[in-house]
Amino acid sequence: MIRVLKLEWLKIKNYRVFWILTIMYLLALVIITSGGMFFLEWLKSEGADFQGINPTIIPIYDFPDIWQNTTYLATFIKVLLAFIVIISVNNDVTYNTLRQNIIDGISKKEYIFSKLAFIVTMAAISTLFIFVLGFINGSIYSHVWGIEYIFDEMEFLVVFFYEVIIYCTLAFLLSLIIKKAGFVIVALFLYTLMFEPIITTIMINAPFFTEGPAPEIAQFFPIKALNNLISVPFGRYVFMEIQDNVPIKALTIATGWFIFYLSSIFYILNKRDLN
Amino acid sequence: MEKILRINKLSKRFGKIQAVDQLELEVAAGQVFGILGPNGSGKTTTLGMILDVIAPTAGSFKWFDQDDTVEARKSIGAILETPCFYPYLSAVQNLRVSAHIKKCGTDNIEKVLKQVGLFDRKDDKFKTYSLGMKQRLSIAAALLSNPPVLILDEPTNGLDPEGIAEVRNLIKEIAASGKTIIMASHLLDEVQKVCSHFCVLRKGKKLHEGNVSETLGEINKIEIAANDTVKLESIIQGFPGTSSYLKNGSSFLVTIKDGANAANLNDYCFEQGITLKTLFTQRNSLEQEFLKILREHD
Repeated sequence: MIRVLKLEWLKIKNYRVFWILTIMYLLALVIITSGGMFFLEWLKSEGADFQGINPTIIPIYDFPDIWQNTTYLATFIKVLLAFIVIISVNNDVTYNTLRQNIIDGISKKEYIFSKLAFIVTMAAISTLFIFVLGFINGSIYSHVWGIEYIFDEMEFLVVFFYEVIIYCTLAFLLSLIIKKAGFVIVALFLYTLMFEPIITTIMINAPFFTEGPAPEIAQFFPIKALNNLISVPFGRYVFMEIQDNVPIKALTIATGWFIFYLSSIFYILNKRDLN
Repeated sequence: MEKILRINKLSKRFGKIQAVDQLELEVAAGQVFGILGPNGSGKTTTLGMILDVIAPTAGSFKWFDQDDTVEARKSIGAILETPCFYPYLSAVQNLRVSAHIKKCGTDNIEKVLKQVGLFDRKDDKFKTYSLGMKQRLSIAAALLSNPPVLILDEPTNGLDPEGIAEVRNLIKEIAASGKTIIMASHLLDEVQKVCSHFCVLRKGKKLHEGNVSETLGEINKIEIAANDTVKLESIIQGFPGTSSYLKNGSSFLVTIKDGANAANLNDYCFEQGITLKTLFTQRNSLEQEFLKILREHD
């Protein structure tokens, strides 16, 4: 594990694009997880109110709800992490350094493990980062305090970690299939944030579809399955029933996709001639 | 002799093209083995397969008579066609990646960079290098772990005349140190100068395999004649560079040893008081042999 990680480290540590993207991602995480109170302040200044409640007293940073809230928001920018994976894999493909690596003496399997180790490490770092940010924000704003609250609902961090890994593995697969990094980035970005959400929303909500199997089928779409892992938490502040745990069904579907991505990567790379 | 590589009925098909067809080859330790062939004859594909970057359609190969090709590859230094490195890393940083994969430590990096003449540019990014410098870096990467086996695919590709001479000398030095070299080239002159054994491929099939010095057996034959044939014969017998000779009417066909040449023979005859009236050198080149082999199989 250390060995394959060091290989990736040697490849990227002097690569400026990697550092720029990483810093942008971490900055985006800070903004998206810590900007909630500023957002509520802004709502207040705009004169918004929630059934007569002052928006700034909405307890979005209370333990343990904070974990679901922040991880939910953080999943929106996982696409930035995927960009790093795409660029890293794409470099090896376009510069043919994957071939050089193999000539130098690693197997294709080891190569895949090195990229996966890289993905897992990035996922771990962003999860840790979110934990620290959540802990800081919670210490500042939370109305409740105590071990039993702070460390409750930690499963959202675990699931976030898992979701990032699956999503980045998808990015790995795509950049093996499509060799143009720019194209993969645009395609993945549009698909994740626009195409699939629009399609699944139509399938679930359009009157034409709601009678048939479409809403059920939509749950099996690759991005929908990931999005289902951490449900939209904010309904709870308008007294709606929300999914406040990790649904087993979504977890199973997402795992199915994960296995599919991994086996495709192994299959493709094993068959491919690296000319 | 210990076999470094055994190739057994190796074939590769790219769609309609049979790039390599039932190739059988054996390379023994210490050989400098040249793979010759016209463009598109399957040289690089063959090297790609034995390096595991191209999946064979059929057949097999074995390195060092062992099954683990991944481990075997760590004791092979290879360059394959175009040099492939990270453009945003310097020579040293790129070689660190190679060294890490080969598990050979980074101590050798400076040495190999000096060996290929890149030391002055070691901290410049790969993307700033000329083609010749890139080629030198890939040779440096191949030498990095001081491997017992080297695979060189068109090693002088893209180099200037000076670079070509340097790389050839480097190859000869490496070969002299007892390493096994497998080299693909379409430059026959190059193979003739550095290889001990060679094979000829065309359309993926092996047409010929042999020992370079045996194939070029008639190399350095000199036809001489003088008025005094009897005296000339005794002089030929006395000449230290004579390996054998053949009387051919009134002239002699002398096969001379390595290191001797026509001028030596001429000088020697002159010193012994005979003036040659005829002096022809006959030198078969691999080029002639190669063309002959190709013609024979047409």
